[in-house]
Amino acid sequence: MSPPREAEPIPERSGGQRSWLAAPLLLYLGLFLVYPTLYAVKLAFTDALTGDFPSGANFQLLWHDRLFWRAAAGNIVLPLLSVALELTLGLALAVFLAARFPGRRLLRAVVIVPFALPEIVFLTVMRYVFAPRGYANAALLAAGLGPVDWLLPGRVLTFLTVVAVDAWHVTPVVFLMLLAALSAIPEEISEAAELDGARGIARFAFITLPLLRPALIAAVILRGLDALRVFATPLVLTGVEGVPVLSTYAYHQWSDYGNDGAAAAAATLLALLSVVATLPLLRRRVAA
Amino acid sequence: MKRGKMLLVALGVVVAVIDLLPLALILKQAFTPDKESFAWPPTWLPHQLTAENFRGLQSAIRLDQGLWLSVFVALLTVASSLALALPAAWVAAQRPRLDRPLDAAMIVTRLFPSIALAVPLAALFVHLRLYNNPAGLGLWLAHTLLGIPFAFLILRNGLRSVPLELEEAARLDGASALGTFWRITLPLVRPSLAAAGILVFLVSWDEFAYALLLQVTNRSLPPLLYYLAAFGYPGMASAVAAIMLVPALCIILVLEPALRSGVLSGSGR
Repeated sequence: MSPPREAEPIPERSGGQRSWLAAPLLLYLGLFLVYPTLYAVKLAFTDALTGDFPSGANFQLLWHDRLFWRAAAGNIVLPLLSVALELTLGLALAVFLAARFPGRRLLRAVVIVPFALPEIVFLTVMRYVFAPRGYANAALLAAGLGPVDWLLPGRVLTFLTVVAVDAWHVTPVVFLMLLAALSAIPEEISEAAELDGARGIARFAFITLPLLRPALIAAVILRGLDALRVFATPLVLTGVEGVPVLSTYAYHQWSDYGNDGAAAAAATLLALLSVVATLPLLRRRVAA
Repeated sequence: MKRGKMLLVALGVVVAVIDLLPLALILKQAFTPDKESFAWPPTWLPHQLTAENFRGLQSAIRLDQGLWLSVFVALLTVASSLALALPAAWVAAQRPRLDRPLDAAMIVTRLFPSIALAVPLAALFVHLRLYNNPAGLGLWLAHTLLGIPFAFLILRNGLRSVPLELEEAARLDGASALGTFWRITLPLVRPSLAAAGILVFLVSWDEFAYALLLQVTNRSLPPLLYYLAAFGYPGMASAVAAIMLVPALCIILVLEPALRSGVLSGSGR
């Protein structure tokens, strides 16, 4: 699929030893990425009451907090469901918009619109859509159905609403990645498949899907890593206790209890989870 | 065949309605009185148009301060991200051996959870008077961290596409390395600089988590919008949302090709 660009080494350009030009950037990352991360680890292992270091007090607090365990579980389940739904919808959209029909070009632009809205703007509208007296229930009413409580805390439906809203917003990204890959499939392959009698679903399953594999994997990795640090969607739609994840839990400890230590402990666990999940991606790229 | 096309068009209309609905509802709520948003069932189309929500914002939340803060932080973030990323991107474009580790650092930076940094940054910024800073300087420093990876990826890819021969010719004509960069290379990557600048502006303008944690009372637009909606002002919240849309929608034209090439999704190549 991807051209073997990395295979032939890019020639070293003239200009001599100018590695120091990267120094300001690296210094910045050291000051504002590495140092705060280390500081968070220190906060996480410091007892807020006695000032003892190292201390496991903050992690003990987390261990005995039911909300933390819900947040930890949510931080696994929510990304899995979101990525699965976004991949399905993104693939469906890409296949649909690869077909020829009037208005297709316009529709390709329209499909991007949800992602062009700033996250907080999109979530604010969703709040009005899924409110008890909101637009979703108004649509149900018009269809002769009863109202639904979309966002009551601690229910499965609430979880699914959050997943659906996340998908509504970011499916365009997956769509664009898959559409690009789909357009890159050479016409001859489709024609050959057609001649061999492969049609419809068979052609999709045995020809198209395998050719899309690299793009699908890339989409899963990138969307998955993004989904791990989900914050605004559950917070804006359900508050800190409706569909908790690690980042909203850390925010809750920091903002509602002023407990820097517990917030840092949860934040450190989230950072660890993110970095570990990033490792396969780094290895792929370094190996490439 | 004809029926198949009709079906596709019908499906297209459904998709378009779903994808345009959020935008349409913001605009409707922003330009209609609150009683239409509170009605049951809520109105889908505006009955009465008004600019009242926009007028109310100034006295309710000091809109000018939030707007100024958002613009100021976004512009500073563009300047700092480009200034830090450009030299590093130049080195990375020239020397693959340095590109690998820089590239990896950019991925980690881009995927690092904001909250995991916002909590320690808030604690550190308190001592530096950067926490809840009236000019948003703490927020600027955090946003620069978000801007750097995008700026680096776009600029490095742009710099890579500059033909080697051009630079070599300039060097043979006696220009210094920096002179060559300044007079030959930089003008050639102006489109990349523009694309990176626009993207970084939007990243800062849209950002919510750092803004919520670092500007607790001197709020920029995203947290202002969050609290307006939380406290039950659909009209004014939608008006702020509509204001936030202006740069985003202006720039979608530029953003779309960037998305297509995978820059925004972080794949970069």
